[in-house]
Amino acid sequence: MTETLTMHRPTTHPAVRTSAASLPVLVGIETRKSLSTRSGKALAAAAVVLPSAAMGLAALSGDPFGSASGPIAAVGIFAALMLMALGVLSTAGEWTHKSVQTTFLLVPQRGRVLTAKALSLALMGAVLAAVATAASAGVLALTFGGDPSWDGALVAMTTVTVAGAAFAVIGAGVGAALGNAPAALTGLYVVVLGVIPVAGVFQPHIASWVDLNNSALLLAQGQEETKAAVVMAGWVMVSTVAGALVTRRRSVA
Amino acid sequence: MITVSGLTKKYGDRTVVDDVSFTLEPGTVTGFLGPNGAGKTTTMRMMTGLVAPSRGSAMVDGRLYVELPNPGAVIGTLLDASAVHPGRTGRTHLRLLAQTIGVSVGRVDDVLDLVGLTDAAHRRIAGYSLGMRQRLGIAGALLAEPPVLVFDEPANGLDPEGIRWMRDLLRSHAARGGTVLLSSHLLGEVEHTVDRLLVIGNGRIVADASVAELLGAEGTAVRAVDPAALALSLEAAGFHVQHGADGGLVAPGTDPSQVGAVAAAAGLTLVDLRPVQRGIEDLFFQLTTVA
Repeated sequence: MTETLTMHRPTTHPAVRTSAASLPVLVGIETRKSLSTRSGKALAAAAVVLPSAAMGLAALSGDPFGSASGPIAAVGIFAALMLMALGVLSTAGEWTHKSVQTTFLLVPQRGRVLTAKALSLALMGAVLAAVATAASAGVLALTFGGDPSWDGALVAMTTVTVAGAAFAVIGAGVGAALGNAPAALTGLYVVVLGVIPVAGVFQPHIASWVDLNNSALLLAQGQEETKAAVVMAGWVMVSTVAGALVTRRRSVA
Repeated sequence: MITVSGLTKKYGDRTVVDDVSFTLEPGTVTGFLGPNGAGKTTTMRMMTGLVAPSRGSAMVDGRLYVELPNPGAVIGTLLDASAVHPGRTGRTHLRLLAQTIGVSVGRVDDVLDLVGLTDAAHRRIAGYSLGMRQRLGIAGALLAEPPVLVFDEPANGLDPEGIRWMRDLLRSHAARGGTVLLSSHLLGEVEHTVDRLLVIGNGRIVADASVAELLGAEGTAVRAVDPAALALSLEAAGFHVQHGADGGLVAPGTDPSQVGAVAAAAGLTLVDLRPVQRGIEDLFFQLTTVA
């Protein structure tokens, strides 16, 4: 591609902030970063739209629902799993595209960057999951999927909102720890949706303590709340600590 | 002022940067030269906190880079033009940088105009050529008009007009009291842009001096109607003489006035008399081969 571009001499003297960017400013920047790429926009849109579409299809073509909380939880966790990818791309995507270099040149305190990313992902995850679950509940109500009981629906919707935040933060933590978007996405989904459920066939007790997906479903349906909350919190803790430790030490090529 | 003291980087048993020390003064453009793998980029990355040094430090006005509250306001850095997300547009990329540094969003249009990317600003960076990415990187580094510029191979991919523009930019930045560190493998370009040369070979600094000192006169080239008689006269005057293949003579360590005086005293006719300067390429290979 041949282009004729003209360059000029600098003439201005801009006003510049002398202090560091505040945490809310960094959170806003990280949010704009995530939503300024096609992959980020597509994931955010899919997380909101696809659960409603799935709910509509299930309500129209499947057996009548006895309870609303079950299908709301199921399609809500589907949204949370997509938000996990948004989290992975926010951290691992920066390493894959090397844009982390610019990020750390401008904010060299890596812990502040990761904190801003985690808060941004928690916020986006919660908001997008809340919209997704509200929309899917609306679809269920409109399609009258068997005129289900709405007992527990609010708990399910609240859990989906929390799971949206948690899954996005887990994705960001794992992405930061691995520093490679394809590896983090593949590894995370293989473990969460493949290895752990298969392990559950042979070692159900052990697997139940690490099964993130099933814990979110149980929590949304008001079952084994304490254990499920511990499993989700454990995933958040381990992934963010691992991401922070690795990011702190890793050289930026 | 930037002070680099004893910077060292080891990967296992391999030392890629070995006890590198130098200072960068305001008002100067310093060229950072060295062959591939000599340690230029690693040194620059240690200076900017991207790579942790095994030993030593780099201070910016007495502070480590990572201690600067808003580094983008102090140092404009371009290390790798491809280190951008290809899915964003050029304008979005610069807006994110502007918000991080804390300059007005309007400044984005200024720097886009400055580097000639206004018409391409709405396009995704994935469609940019290498030269356009370099311009985008330079635009990002100039957002806050920082006093210090650190550029690693900024001329890569730039066309001749762009290279001349960048040379003028760096020279005028230094003329206004700014500090510039410029690494490049384009030796001729460096020679015409920098005031001072840092040469690195095998991870160690092998030369740190002004361009004038390093590339100063090496001797005198002279051609005479009777070269044999001139050679005898010069040797009689105590000068060493080297015979060129084309009949010309070189008297190392002399200046043309000394050679001219010997020829005049002997009544010899000269057809050419000029100082011989060591080229930057010769200097580069001499220093880095020894290292």
